[in-house]
Amino acid sequence: MANDYKYIGKNYTTPDLVAKVTGKAKYAEDYRAEGMLFVKLLLSPMPHARVRNVDASAALAMPGVKGILRASDFPAPPAPPTPPGGQAPPPPPLPPETALTDEPVYQGEPILAVAAVDETTAAEAIELIKVDYEPLPFAVDPLDSLRPGGANARAQGNVYTGAGPTLKVANVKWTDADFAEAREGRLPMGEAPDTFVLGDIEEGFKKADLILDETLYSQSTGHQPLETRTAMAYWQGGKLFLHGSTQSVAQTVPNIARMVGLKVDEVVLISEFTGGGFGSKIPGSHSMAIPALMSKKLNGVPVMMRITREEEHYIGRARAGIFGRAKVGFRKDGRIVAMDFFTIQDNGPYNPQGDHRSAGAMASLQFQPETFRWRGISVLTNTPPRTSQRSPGGMQMNALLDPIMAKAARKLGVDHVELLKVNAPAGKAPYGPIVPATKKQAYVTQANVREALEQGKALFGWEEKKATAGQKRGTKVRGIGVAVGPYTAGSIGFDGLAIVRPDGKVQVQTGIGNLGTESVIDCQRVYAEVLDTPWENFEVVWGNTAKGLPWTCVSAGSQTVHAMTRAAHAAATDLKTKMQEVAAKMRGGSPASYKVSNGKVGPLTFAEVAKKAIELGGKYDGHEGPEDINAFTKSALKVVAGQGLIGVAKDNYKRDGNTHSFVAGFAEVEVDTETGAWHIVDYTAVADVGTVLHPRNLNGQTFGGSMLGIGHAVSQRWVYDKQYGVCLARRFHHNKPPSIMEIPHTVKIAATDIPDPETPVGARGIGEPPVGAGCGAVAAALVNALGDEAFRRYPMTPDLLLTSIDSKSLQHDALTAHI
Amino acid sequence: MGIDFLTRGITPWGQSVFTHISWDLLWVSFFAGVVFLAAHSVYMLLSAHSKRASADVDALEAKLKGLPEKIQRHSLPARLFHWIMAAAMLTLLFTSFLPIVGVKFAWVEWHWMAGLVLAASILYHIIHATFFMDFWSIWVGPKDIPELKSEIMRELGGDTSGPKAAKYPLGNRLYHMAIVVTGIGASATGLFMMKKVQTPFFTRDPYILADTTWSWMYVAHGAAGVALVGLTMAHIYFAIRPEKLWLTKSMLFGFITRRQYLEHHDPTRWRVPGSEPVGGRPSE
Amino acid sequence: MAVIHDMMPAFELFQPASLDDALGLLDRHGADAWVMAGGLDSFDWLKDRIRKPAVVVELGAIEGLRGVKASGDGIEIGAMTTLTEVVTNPLVREKFGVLFQGAEAAASPQIRNQGTIGGNLSQDARCWYYRAGWSCYRAGGNVCYADTPTAVNREHAIFGADRCVAVNPSDTAPAMIALDAKMVIRSSKGERIVDAQDYFVGPGTDITRLTTLQPGELLTAIRIPGTWAGAEFYTEKVADRKVWDFPLVNIASAMKVNGSTIERARIVVNAVAAQPMRLEAVEQFVAGKPRNEETANAAGELAVRGAVPLAHNAYKIPLMRNLVKRAIRGGDNGWASTS
Repeated sequence: MANDYKYIGKNYTTPDLVAKVTGKAKYAEDYRAEGMLFVKLLLSPMPHARVRNVDASAALAMPGVKGILRASDFPAPPAPPTPPGGQAPPPPPLPPETALTDEPVYQGEPILAVAAVDETTAAEAIELIKVDYEPLPFAVDPLDSLRPGGANARAQGNVYTGAGPTLKVANVKWTDADFAEAREGRLPMGEAPDTFVLGDIEEGFKKADLILDETLYSQSTGHQPLETRTAMAYWQGGKLFLHGSTQSVAQTVPNIARMVGLKVDEVVLISEFTGGGFGSKIPGSHSMAIPALMSKKLNGVPVMMRITREEEHYIGRARAGIFGRAKVGFRKDGRIVAMDFFTIQDNGPYNPQGDHRSAGAMASLQFQPETFRWRGISVLTNTPPRTSQRSPGGMQMNALLDPIMAKAARKLGVDHVELLKVNAPAGKAPYGPIVPATKKQAYVTQANVREALEQGKALFGWEEKKATAGQKRGTKVRGIGVAVGPYTAGSIGFDGLAIVRPDGKVQVQTGIGNLGTESVIDCQRVYAEVLDTPWENFEVVWGNTAKGLPWTCVSAGSQTVHAMTRAAHAAATDLKTKMQEVAAKMRGGSPASYKVSNGKVGPLTFAEVAKKAIELGGKYDGHEGPEDINAFTKSALKVVAGQGLIGVAKDNYKRDGNTHSFVAGFAEVEVDTETGAWHIVDYTAVADVGTVLHPRNLNGQTFGGSMLGIGHAVSQRWVYDKQYGVCLARRFHHNKPPSIMEIPHTVKIAATDIPDPETPVGARGIGEPPVGAGCGAVAAALVNALGDEAFRRYPMTPDLLLTSIDSKSLQHDALTAHI
Repeated sequence: MGIDFLTRGITPWGQSVFTHISWDLLWVSFFAGVVFLAAHSVYMLLSAHSKRASADVDALEAKLKGLPEKIQRHSLPARLFHWIMAAAMLTLLFTSFLPIVGVKFAWVEWHWMAGLVLAASILYHIIHATFFMDFWSIWVGPKDIPELKSEIMRELGGDTSGPKAAKYPLGNRLYHMAIVVTGIGASATGLFMMKKVQTPFFTRDPYILADTTWSWMYVAHGAAGVALVGLTMAHIYFAIRPEKLWLTKSMLFGFITRRQYLEHHDPTRWRVPGSEPVGGRPSE
Repeated sequence: MAVIHDMMPAFELFQPASLDDALGLLDRHGADAWVMAGGLDSFDWLKDRIRKPAVVVELGAIEGLRGVKASGDGIEIGAMTTLTEVVTNPLVREKFGVLFQGAEAAASPQIRNQGTIGGNLSQDARCWYYRAGWSCYRAGGNVCYADTPTAVNREHAIFGADRCVAVNPSDTAPAMIALDAKMVIRSSKGERIVDAQDYFVGPGTDITRLTTLQPGELLTAIRIPGTWAGAEFYTEKVADRKVWDFPLVNIASAMKVNGSTIERARIVVNAVAAQPMRLEAVEQFVAGKPRNEETANAAGELAVRGAVPLAHNAYKIPLMRNLVKRAIRGGDNGWASTS
């Protein structure tokens, strides 16, 4: 599709914006209801313990205290479905996480909840509760757990092995001989259960002109969305009504239903605005079940659970920290002939995380090494649960590998941009392990990384800046760096649903979450484009599942723009076809002879066609629908049927390859060599995300994503005391996400704007790739400014840099987590 | 309701532990000491507490012709130990309790340095007493019951033929016993505590012991320290009482006079050169 | 008893309108009373339920404690003057730039709007072990969790560790000491005036307080004499973030320079010990010396003599050394400003 769009690629104001900037937007915490109770949580003081006894008698005797909720009040998790004719899947190796527990596996894990007439009373009641804990062995640092005799985070073991039906928790201890390398500051590489190999790396290294072997540590970090995961719930007419904070509206409903023990259509979720998620609220949160079940226990009375910032640190999820070691062989021109990438992932205490695996896959994509081996081990720790954080694994890959690229560029005398270009993925570039079914690697739909690098190089002024990079003026030295963040950027197969109402307006129903990305609205611009009708004729309904919302992708992994522009395209096309058919029925002639444009179908208005559709019924007003749409959409269709002409369709468009986006980031940093303080002078990002859907928003997302990655480089911390296994950086000001003053002095953002050939609209997601690009580019720029021995861990705070500068050698280790 | 004898804190895991004894107990010990001193002084004014009658001493003196004029009571090493220990003890008490009563200064280094001196002197003393002194002479046991009885009788004013003191009077030895318990208790726990502060000797590491072990250690250290306040007061009081000055002098100069020896001791129980009678045992 | 944070316990709130009323309240309630200025430090303690005072005396309504006024050739700043008011005051800017810059470096604009100069000077230690409510030395217990083989003590002291290794986090304290300010302290018993330098105490003297302020006492004003008005000042704060952060190390100095000779100077460094450290040895050393790189280097070396680093804060030694060097040398000559 050529870029002759009228709406796509144009700036406009999203309809939710006024509410956001005037404070009228209602988040979960803003809701109040008659007789509403408040819940407070009792958190585990220990990183791993068993609750032997709870004495809540004094608390429950307090006036104003209404009830207590324990782990035992939760319904048993439903057994995973048995495939038809198949065997029942094995039970998961660890009991699944629930919102309350009697075996806390990290400090801060909620043990119980108390409901009272107000929070003051609830807090006083919590203080009166006596909990008898039996402390259990714990580990907060993956390397400590791998050492001979190291403690295991869980009784079942310390390491996840296998995947799918073979997933197990095993007891893995490395030997003293394995750890001998640690004394030299290199990451020990013992037995690692996960691996994939592409070609013969030994042969590859033989071809290398330069081999680097580097250890780096990318720390765990909390997601820290500004809105904590507060939730309010009540029951009415046998249904659960839940006001919550989620990234994905439609897909949160089944999750709540499962946690609370309900059918999907017994849950109504209201989540019109969400103050950020970054992967931590993909299908809502476990903690949503607490007010839901407390309310149920108290006969449906509304229950509000406000989550504090400290609680958010514990239950609000985190990125998995990764210890990485990479041995990389380069040819003279910078081409990577061999890469041996070893990763130890801090898995947290619960579900197996895939960041380390993604890091391996993204390394194979980003650098297209001639030969490659990835090895990984995911170690359970008694620290807050991990989950995907914007560019999970991708960002860590950039953090662990891009400093090595900067070093190689310097040693080889190759321009860093050229080094990335010679290794860049292009077209339908392959990545990841060999797929057993095809005996080949998977491949992307389209990569235009060289184009992005060229465009960015010019926009950034790379050549001019290169002239002064590494030079010292006074006490300050500058450096430049570049990195490319790759990541998945789109899924397929979801549903679109829209109504042409009798008043002539087109009402688009969407199950996308309003998590701050604006894709909830942006994707619907496709309707305007397909119907060739001004945007003012469209209304979007979102954020309340009682209103009939279609099955939608989770807003995660940068899927939404790709998946839901496709679904919108399918439903809009369905609308168009049906309107043409209805017009033909009204005025005769062939449907195709009726041009849909500017709110009219041939001579007929949308309103006239809609009224006729209601009259016609059947598929035209939604009383019948296609078979292939999701059951969730079918339920939604029942809600909206009869309200007008209904367009409803599943995205059945073909796709060859897996959708990925790329961002090329360029950074210039300035370091004060007397203090170690530094800042980013200039930052440029060029997005290769297919067709640009909404330029202003693309800028916002690229900028925000870049800052998330930059925050990992600059200041964001996560600190644990090893002796007690408890959090030290528990306050927001300890976590130090980047402030407004850490924003680069100048930021330029652009896009290649080359349509993706495998999707009708041409657009891919932007969420993830700027994160790794931002982190990697800044890290590379620091290497460029300070030389090879500047840092081995993130964030690169002034203390680390100053000791390196001052002693001209590394003074910090990369082998301790959480400091 | 009641007095809180122990101050509580919480561990990082929210478990309640003792941090130390209540410093109110310092005042309890102090006032107990004062009350004892007052009571004792009054009692001393009224009671008989006779030493050996003059005539008897003359008789003994005549009999024990071999006794020298000066009898060594404390060897130089023993005296050095005593005074070093006394200085260390006073430093320890002042450095620990002055800040508690409101005289603020940087006391910790002085305290642990004095503590090291005390611990070293105790160690020295134990070795010295075991190998070079009459180890059992200071000990208290069932065999001392007759002496206790006769001491009580004497204090009540009656003269008695019961045994007089050997080298160390019973009160002296009971006091030594109390000092052994509190002094070793305080210094042993104090040595562990040195792992908790910056010193040139160790890397700080409070995790060598469990939180609860530490909590009892602090209670023991505090209780011993507070007890030592009262004990030290009593000791100084006795040292400066007129009728005990001969003992105090002996701790300074090492000897007592022949007459003092005979007045206060039982030559059969504390044998010194020349205490064997010429021509028979003293009357008993 | 279970621990719960982030929910302020109930207390009786007093908002006296006069200083006498405030002192009367403190007298009446003794140790049960908590004095609150801007609340930035207090609310942390209260919300975490680590401190549960029966009575909070909030000083915001006492007009007499607010504002900056000329006093002889110096100024007097009411303790309840907000940091923003200090930063925007023309007298402060004109005469005592070192204070202006120190105050402006504190926290964030929102916090400066609410936080007071008295509160900033009198704030408690920010050691995260102490602030977690653990029974450490500073909290009246008998362990320092911040100096153990596994402790994370990047922000802690390199000087004057006496059991406790917490540091004074104030951004304005070094400026006040550099300017030889006098702290006016009132209680129902009367007024005492102490040098800014003596306002702060180390753990040896009092391990549970950072200042000499006793229960029942209020810091009412800070008097800055004209002695150093218009001198050459230097301030710098190094922190992880450029806003909303405590210093890793900060410095404030006032210097009288005649030609190229340093006549006299006052140099104060904070966040390296429990008290802001006035570097008197360095001051004596540089007095009468030419102002050049050599003097600056020697001053820097002298400043860090005797520092004892912990596991994670050895960087404070070169950082402090370099900051002292820069204070003597004056502004650096780096790239043209890009901010």
